[in-house]
Amino acid sequence: MKRTIIIFMLAALVLATCAIWFLTSGVSFEWMGLLQPFVIIFVVVLGLFFGIRRLRSVRRGEPAEDELSKKISVKTASVSYYVSIYLWLAVMYFSDKVQMEVHTMIGTGIIGMAVIYVLCWLFFSYRGIRNE
Amino acid sequence: MSSAGSSLVTGVSAMNNKIREYRAKYNLTQEDLAQRVKVRRETIVFLEKNKYNPSLKLAYDLAKVFSVAIEELFLFEDETGMD
Repeated sequence: MKRTIIIFMLAALVLATCAIWFLTSGVSFEWMGLLQPFVIIFVVVLGLFFGIRRLRSVRRGEPAEDELSKKISVKTASVSYYVSIYLWLAVMYFSDKVQMEVHTMIGTGIIGMAVIYVLCWLFFSYRGIRNE
Repeated sequence: MSSAGSSLVTGVSAMNNKIREYRAKYNLTQEDLAQRVKVRRETIVFLEKNKYNPSLKLAYDLAKVFSVAIEELFLFEDETGMD
């Protein structure tokens, strides 16, 4: 339950920070300028999804985590780490070919890692883990 | 008969189970069964669809719920024959 509350608090904090930044920075409505906030909101929404899922499990009297969910988390973490290495290699390769600031590139890489983690989690949640 | 060291199992054993069958026999929902063995309902769903092989403890707990031996509940099928 504590972990669920922490997830919700973090999500609320990130959303509030994004909203304050968006309202005070005077960002123009260009698609590139809006892309990063949208990706951040996407990651936050996914965090909320995981938090709500946990809350529902607790209300049903189920454990928040069991052996399958832990195995999926471990498998997801290992595969997404492996894939993320190639993502950062790609970021390094394109760093001098694309006109982008360093902090933007790093932020894009971090968001890419989050998206990779989510996609891996969805894949293993659908496929399951067999013979391991 | 092949000598020791050259006789190898080349395939991977697949595991099926009769959880759905026994669950119906005992008139249990997936949620009821999940609560009895202290796992999430999704774990029971994945087990019934053969998308997950349980740990020994979970297999034992499931067999205990249905009052059967583990090998009656979980069936191993060799995908290739042993030499």
